Amino acid sequence: MIELEMQNVSLGYNYQPVLEDITLRASPGQLVGIIGPNGSGKSTIIKALSRVISPISGKILLDRQDVVRIPRRELACLVGVVPQMPLLPSTFTAFEIVLMGRNPHLGLFQSEGPRDWSIAWEAMEKTATHLLASRRVNELSGGEIQCLLIARVLVQETKAILLDEPTANLDIGRQVEVLDLIKNLCTESNLTVLAALHDLNLAAQYCDRLLLINERRIHAEGTPTEVITDTNIKQVYGAENCVYTHPVNGLPTVLLSAKNNKPTGRQ
Amino acid sequence: MNIPRKPTDIELTSHYLSGRRTRVYSILGLSILLVAVIALATSVGSVHIPLLTTFRILLDKLPLVDIAQTWQSAIATIILEVRLPRVILAGLVGAALATAGATYQGLFRNPLADPYLIGVAQGASLGAVVGFLLPVTWHSFGFGIIPLLAFTGAMVSTIAVYLLARTGKTLPVTTLILAGVALGALLGSIVSYLVISSGEKMHGIIFWMMGSFSLSQWSEVTIVLPYVAVGTAVIIVFARLLNVMQLDEEQAQQLGVNVERLKIILLAAATLITAASVSFVGTIGFVGIIIPHAVRLIWGADHRFLLPLSVLTGAIFMILADLVARIVMAPTEIPIGVITAICGAPFFLYLLRRRKKVIF
Repeated sequence: MIELEMQNVSLGYNYQPVLEDITLRASPGQLVGIIGPNGSGKSTIIKALSRVISPISGKILLDRQDVVRIPRRELACLVGVVPQMPLLPSTFTAFEIVLMGRNPHLGLFQSEGPRDWSIAWEAMEKTATHLLASRRVNELSGGEIQCLLIARVLVQETKAILLDEPTANLDIGRQVEVLDLIKNLCTESNLTVLAALHDLNLAAQYCDRLLLINERRIHAEGTPTEVITDTNIKQVYGAENCVYTHPVNGLPTVLLSAKNNKPTGRQ
Repeated sequence: MNIPRKPTDIELTSHYLSGRRTRVYSILGLSILLVAVIALATSVGSVHIPLLTTFRILLDKLPLVDIAQTWQSAIATIILEVRLPRVILAGLVGAALATAGATYQGLFRNPLADPYLIGVAQGASLGAVVGFLLPVTWHSFGFGIIPLLAFTGAMVSTIAVYLLARTGKTLPVTTLILAGVALGALLGSIVSYLVISSGEKMHGIIFWMMGSFSLSQWSEVTIVLPYVAVGTAVIIVFARLLNVMQLDEEQAQQLGVNVERLKIILLAAATLITAASVSFVGTIGFVGIIIPHAVRLIWGADHRFLLPLSVLTGAIFMILADLVARIVMAPTEIPIGVITAICGAPFFLYLLRRRKKVIF
C-alpha cells in the first residue's frame, strides 16, 4: 500500500510552467481521475509522479518519501505506468513486451525465469491478450496494444498504477472491460490508481475522486457529483447546460447537443 | 459463437522457449564454425599446409595437449607466428565492429547506425594521417606511432561529440547523432586535405583507411584483446536493459532503467572496442552495419542473443573476408574494406529479399 502526494508542485518543460501549485493525494483503494481539456497537463502529472520529469518547485512524495531520492529501479517496483499510445518496437512479440514489465524485479545478471513467465501469462489472460502472445506488436490494433500495456503494468506488480488515457483507443465494450478490471484491482488489491481520462462520463462512472485541471491550476476537486457540474463544465470546456443525471445510478452524465439542432418535439 | 481454445501455460512457454533453444544451439554451432574457420584460414596461404597438420599444430599449442611432432618447425612458425596472429586479430576486429554496430543501433533505435556514426572513424583517420605525415618514426611496445595517434584521435573526437551533444543532465540521442555527423564531416574534410597534400605517402594512407591485416603480430593481438573482451562483456551484461530501451526512453525509465547512465556505459564500451580495433587495422566499413542486421534477420532482435551471435558472426565474416583479401590476387593484397562490401552486400540483400518481414 502506498500513498502518492504532490505538495504545491509546479511542473513544466524548459522552465515554462504548464501546471502551478498543484496539491493532490491518492490513497490505496481509491481510483482518482484527472480530467481537463487538451493540453491542460494531465500527462505531465503522470510523468512527474513517475520521475520522468522533475518538478520546478514543490515536492512529490511516495509514502512521505521524496520521489527524487528513490532509485529508479526501486521506484519502478512501486509505481507502474500505462503510457498513452507509445510506439512499440515492431520486432518484439506481445509476450516479450509484457515480459519487459519484470525488468525492475531482475538484477543485472538475472534473466526471466518460469515464475516471471507465468506472471506474464496470467496478466495476459486477465487482459484477454493471451491469444496474441506470439504475435508481433506491429500486427496489433490500437486497442490490443492498450490492453497489452495494461498487462505489462500488472506484471510489474507495483503498489500504484498511473494510467494515461487508458481508454483512448478502445471501443465502448473494451472501455468498460478495461476500467472494470482497473477498478477491481484498485479495490481488491488495494492499489493506488491515478488515471488521466478524456471521457467525462467514464470518469464519473468509475472514479472515487476527480481533479479537474484548467489553465495551469486545479479548477475543482471532489467526488464526481461535486466536480462535474454545469458551472464547472461551462467554465472549463465552454459547453453549456450539458450535465444530466444518469438514469440508473444517479451519477453526473454529460450529454452534448449540436448548437443549431432544435429540440425535435414529440411532446 | 466459436470461442478459440485457450492455449495452456505449457504451450506458451514451449513456443517461447523453443525460440530461445534454437538460438542457444545457434551460438554453439557458430562457436564450432568459428574454430573451423580459424583452422581453415591458417592453413590456406602462399605455402599450402594441409588442414589436418594445421589442426594438429594448433591443438599441440593448447595446454595439456601433446601431439607428436610430425611437421617441420618452419611450418609451425608460419602457422603460429605469421598466420595465426593475423587470423585472431581479424576475428577480434570483426567481433568488435559487429558488437559495436549492434549496440549503437539498439541504443539509438536507428537502423542506419554503425560504429563510426559518432566520429570514431574520422577521428581515427585524422590521427593516423597525422602519424603518417610526422617526420619521426617512433616505436614503443613493438608498434609504431600510427595506432597510438589513431586511438587518441578516435577517443578525442567521440568525447568532443559527447560534450557537444550533452544538454544539462541528459544526452538526447538525435543531438548526439547530428553532432557526430557534423564533427565527422569537419574532421573528414581535414583528412581529405591532408591526404591530397601528402605526396608519395598517399598510397600508404589510403591503404590504411580501407583497412588491412597484413602486418598483424601477436603484440597487436595482446593489446586489442583486453579492450574487445572487456568492452563486449560489459555490453552483453546490459543486453536485457538494451531490450527495454527499444521501447522509448520514457517507458524504459518507468520500467526501472537508469537511461542516462546506461547510455554512457554502452557508448563508452562500444567506442572503446571500435577505437581499439580501427587503430591497428584501419577503418574497415560495412561489417558494423550489416552483420547485426543479418543476425537480426535470422535470429530476431532480442539483444541477449543478438549480441553474442553478432560477436561470432562478425568474427567468422571478417576472418573469411581477410582470407579472400590475401588469396584472390596473391601475392598482391586487396584492402579488406573492398572485400567486406563485395562479398557481404549481395548476401545481405539476399537475406533482405528472402525474409520480407519487419526487422527493425
